[in-house]
Amino acid sequence: MMDDVVHDYRMVPEDFVKHLTVTLVIVVIVVLVASMLFSVPEAKPLTIKQYAETNPVGFEEVALRALDGQGRIANYGPPYNHGTGNVESGIQQMVGILHPINAAQDFVLKPLAMAASINPAIRPPLKTFTHASRSRQVFWESQLSLALGHAYQRNGRVMLPSGEYGPLAPLLADTLNLGRSGLMSGALIRNSQVVTRFDNQNYLMFLQGAPLHGAVTPLQLKGTQWGIIHPAVKGYPGAWWMTIPTWIYQWPFVANSPANDAIALFLGLLAWLLLALTPWIPVWNQVPKWAGVYRLIWKRYYQEHQKPSDRLGDQGGARSVRSS
Amino acid sequence: MANWTQTSQKRLQSILSVETWLPDTMPEYAQGFMYMLGSLTASSFVVLVISGLVLAANGPASWSYNGAMRFVAATHFWGVQAFFFFMMLHLWRVFFTGAWRGGRGLTWLVGSIALLLAIPTAFTGFLINGDLYSEWNAVQAKDGLNALGLGWVNLTNAGQMFGMHVIVMPLVLAFFIGLHITRVRLKSVVPPYPDKSSPETRIQMRERGR
Repeated sequence: MMDDVVHDYRMVPEDFVKHLTVTLVIVVIVVLVASMLFSVPEAKPLTIKQYAETNPVGFEEVALRALDGQGRIANYGPPYNHGTGNVESGIQQMVGILHPINAAQDFVLKPLAMAASINPAIRPPLKTFTHASRSRQVFWESQLSLALGHAYQRNGRVMLPSGEYGPLAPLLADTLNLGRSGLMSGALIRNSQVVTRFDNQNYLMFLQGAPLHGAVTPLQLKGTQWGIIHPAVKGYPGAWWMTIPTWIYQWPFVANSPANDAIALFLGLLAWLLLALTPWIPVWNQVPKWAGVYRLIWKRYYQEHQKPSDRLGDQGGARSVRSS
Repeated sequence: MANWTQTSQKRLQSILSVETWLPDTMPEYAQGFMYMLGSLTASSFVVLVISGLVLAANGPASWSYNGAMRFVAATHFWGVQAFFFFMMLHLWRVFFTGAWRGGRGLTWLVGSIALLLAIPTAFTGFLINGDLYSEWNAVQAKDGLNALGLGWVNLTNAGQMFGMHVIVMPLVLAFFIGLHITRVRLKSVVPPYPDKSSPETRIQMRERGR
């Protein structure tokens, strides 16, 4: 059976250890020089404290959306909770809740309860809110949600138009104070079962909406901005090897779908399958032959094997047998 | 039933042979820079393992308060860039030379798996770095994993990501890289396409025609 390879070639002397040493030395030199010249891109992280200090109105909006269940994580769905806001596939639903998040409790009410042990003034409004009927809570939440749209900050405090917010206005001001203190991170990532603090889930999930989106938009890091292939520090390379999946994210029918991640990753995996199964895909596996780039790569081989004199010269050398 | 030890001996004879791993001859067509790309990729992986060991021994956030560790983090970062850069060049070379020919399909497939695995290996490293890029990508990429039913991989859990990046992914990736290189060494690199204009091919084609 014809296997589309030449069988007529010589084996020539090779110092393989030297070859490997040379490639290793090349990489070591390139890496050391790049490290000395360019160091490493480290973009200052966005902290809850920083966000609370620089954007108090936005901070209270984030806290309120966690409290009223309108936030993306509060209403996400599996694997965090029973929400429906971000369920992209049946398999996501089947996996169930693996990393439970009750945004109202975990992001706001529990941290406030902890802060109340230091500042007892937090306790009365907290008690009023938690003991109120759900309909009353929803009323306060909706009133405050509207009001925050017209709020402004003065000396780091959120100034609200007058309205019926019940205990929510002081509670959100207390949450803001907790955020500004830097203590909120401890309240969010605490785990009474273990003392190690590996899991940053609730810290990052608190920031994941408007705060992080606002921070990365100027850096072109959002998915719709070809995000993953861009660096967080201008001038450095990003994860450019993700260009194809990122490109798929930009396709209008993917970008506009509520299941954009599921579709983009599925199509990305199909693209990988096309690559991985190349040897067995008819027509596609002939493309390199038709492209003819191999003639450049093996230019010398073809030149030498076109000369009849080389054929004579070859006869005395080590000749390969089928190498497959 | 055959003797397992003898069967293993037979199978491992060429895999563990010095001749396989340290050849002193190469095919004449496998010369030059194009045939350094695979080794450059593997060398980059070696640099990543060495710099990664230093980083792991000192902790993933050590770069943030120690200048020397910041330099090691930089070597790890540029090592990743070199790894993907040379791997992509290697991919172009093996694609355009139809490197799966002559019974080398499995070598290609294993290399493709290594390419796929390299992506989450690098990604989990970005996640444990602790800067803005880490926090953004942890919350941004979770939706895709959740949608694929891979919600158990919690990108915002730095402990899980540390284990993934330092142990799980490098071991799995190293296995597939090792398998890929082993297959390359055993099967050698693919010979050129038969060139219709060369005297050899004319002779071969005449012989096949008989």
